Amino acid sequence: MLVPACGGLYPQEPTCGATNANALILTAQAVPSATLVPCIAEFPSGWSYDGSRIGSGSAQFFLNSDRAGFHALEITLTGSCDVSNAVEVTAGAGAIPGVRVYEEPISLPPTFQVNRYLRFPGGCVTNRFRFATGAAATLALEAQQALSFVARSVLVKRAKEESGLILCGAEAPPCPG
Amino acid sequence: MVMYFLSVLIGVAFFQPLGGIFDRFDTLRLRWIANLRTDSLTDVVLFVNLLASRWTIRALRWGTIAALVGFRRWRHLFVFLASILAAEIVAYQISTLLGRSRPLGITIIAPWEGYSMPSRPLVGLAASLVGIVYALVVQGRPREIAKWIVGGVILLLVFARLYLAVDHPTDAAFGAIMGIAIPLVAFRWYTPNDVFPVTYRRGKAAHLDVGGRRGEAIRRAVQDQLGYEILQIKPIGLEGSGGSTPLRLRVAATEDEPEQYLFAKLYAKTHVRADRWYKLGRSILYGALEDETPFQSVRRFVEYEDYTLRLLYDEGLPTPRPYGIVEITPEREYMIVMEFFDGAVEIGDAEIDDAGIDEGLQIVRKMWDEGLAHRDIKPANLMVRDGKVLVIDVFFVQVRPSPWRQAVDLANMMLVLAVKSDAKRVYEHALESFTEDDIAEAFAAARGVASPTQLRSMLKQDGRDLVGEFRALAPERKAVSIQRWSVRRIVRTAGVLLLALVALLVVANNWAVFA
Repeated sequence: MLVPACGGLYPQEPTCGATNANALILTAQAVPSATLVPCIAEFPSGWSYDGSRIGSGSAQFFLNSDRAGFHALEITLTGSCDVSNAVEVTAGAGAIPGVRVYEEPISLPPTFQVNRYLRFPGGCVTNRFRFATGAAATLALEAQQALSFVARSVLVKRAKEESGLILCGAEAPPCPG
Repeated sequence: MVMYFLSVLIGVAFFQPLGGIFDRFDTLRLRWIANLRTDSLTDVVLFVNLLASRWTIRALRWGTIAALVGFRRWRHLFVFLASILAAEIVAYQISTLLGRSRPLGITIIAPWEGYSMPSRPLVGLAASLVGIVYALVVQGRPREIAKWIVGGVILLLVFARLYLAVDHPTDAAFGAIMGIAIPLVAFRWYTPNDVFPVTYRRGKAAHLDVGGRRGEAIRRAVQDQLGYEILQIKPIGLEGSGGSTPLRLRVAATEDEPEQYLFAKLYAKTHVRADRWYKLGRSILYGALEDETPFQSVRRFVEYEDYTLRLLYDEGLPTPRPYGIVEITPEREYMIVMEFFDGAVEIGDAEIDDAGIDEGLQIVRKMWDEGLAHRDIKPANLMVRDGKVLVIDVFFVQVRPSPWRQAVDLANMMLVLAVKSDAKRVYEHALESFTEDDIAEAFAAARGVASPTQLRSMLKQDGRDLVGEFRALAPERKAVSIQRWSVRRIVRTAGVLLLALVALLVVANNWAVFA
């Protein structure tokens, strides 16, 4: 109704090329050390954005799928992540320089569940795939198309242009205080 | 101040360059405050910032809810919940609309969550504290002190949030103002002090405080409109009355009359609203059992009682002599003044002999003959003075009532009299004025809601099955159903259920925001 049932999720999409970069800047503020900030590039058919929960230390986005279900993919940005149970994989054609990818299978189809970690200097993005029973594992490949990164330096520059102020953290001059 | 915040709101929301100006302005202030940062002061300020934690706010809210439930202060509880929910929803919606980032250009040194404007922790704390002040603290000096304390706590938290740079100054100020304003308006509007005072004395919520300015207004109005000088105003019989504030007025002697007591009932808009809800409830629970049309104003309300009082008095029934209506505040508060039965006691506390039984029954007989029904025959409304039975509280009197309603009056009177004697004796006396069929009809009709609550509890205390005894004495008669079904009843019931469902959904959907 007036507020999402999941308790204070924010509806702004952290779109990669958005004119209004507030959601991305807030995400960057959540993890000041992160040199990359996850964003949504383009939704494959059947996928939609459900909201975000952003606070100091982490930022989460939730994606729904008409086939994989509610919150089928949860993307979390943190300063670091534990990959001790995961194995490093090659990122493939869409590899982003400086990003190392790890995968931790939780369960195989018919209930596909995987954690995918993307580590980069100062941060880590965890993609938690939690598909509904019967959903094809190939939907994970689709979902990954939706995700991309924006360099923190780009956001630092935008903040400077728009307000004349520094987006504190990595890729920016030291802030007072 | 309001204009300033409106300009911030519009500027940040719709004009990106203006947003930048406000950001720079706010950051400059934050940097000034950040100059004060030291390790030890930071520790203290982080501790102060715990005031804004979810757990602190939850504890305050649940504690208040528990206290309000404990004191059965339902109206205050409802306003408290609604105002907090409203404050949280509005704050959430505005923060989403504005999407303002946390302060730029300064290091943030405390945890935060979500967009910054307005400061939701400040909204939450301020709304909770103001709610507590208005729902739990007694009006007057205690509340004034509480307001200062709350103001101090909020200011302290504002300083802490700015020192830690988690909020912009405008976020904090906006949050504090919103958190204060919403419950303040809600409590002042829906639980005005003079109508719903917070007290820890015994008494019903419907009873108005007759001290202070209202007391003065009553004295002036009675002097001007009725020509009596009031020497004393005393609330009386509060436990037996829920629909008005009954008062005993001691008035000075006039040229024609000695010093005497008068009885008065003070009515306010809240009583009209209560009557409206009462009738809505009855029409849902029982259907159109009788006329359930609510009064539209307190003036009409009091005019009706004045009319019924005069009607019964003119018909020679033993009711108080009417003195007239007094306007205290136009369209808001009125008082009806009548004779005070000095020396009379409630029938429950009096001895009733055969003559008393006859008098009680004759009251009903007379009302039947005149085409009237009292509709609220219960011990609290029957007085005895010098062995004579008197009737008070004629507000519910109906002219040309249904035979069912008249039958119920008879049954209730017989039950009241039987509690003071026995069923057989009352039945025999009743046969002098009523037929066996009348009595059989009365006890076929008198069931459940037909008898006032006070009478039902008195019967329960008595222990004897007086209703059963009367039914055994009278000819057998099939029970009269008090359920009346109509399209109107179904629509009303469905409407109320729908509203309740919507309210439940709003609360459930916003539970995380609230709790």
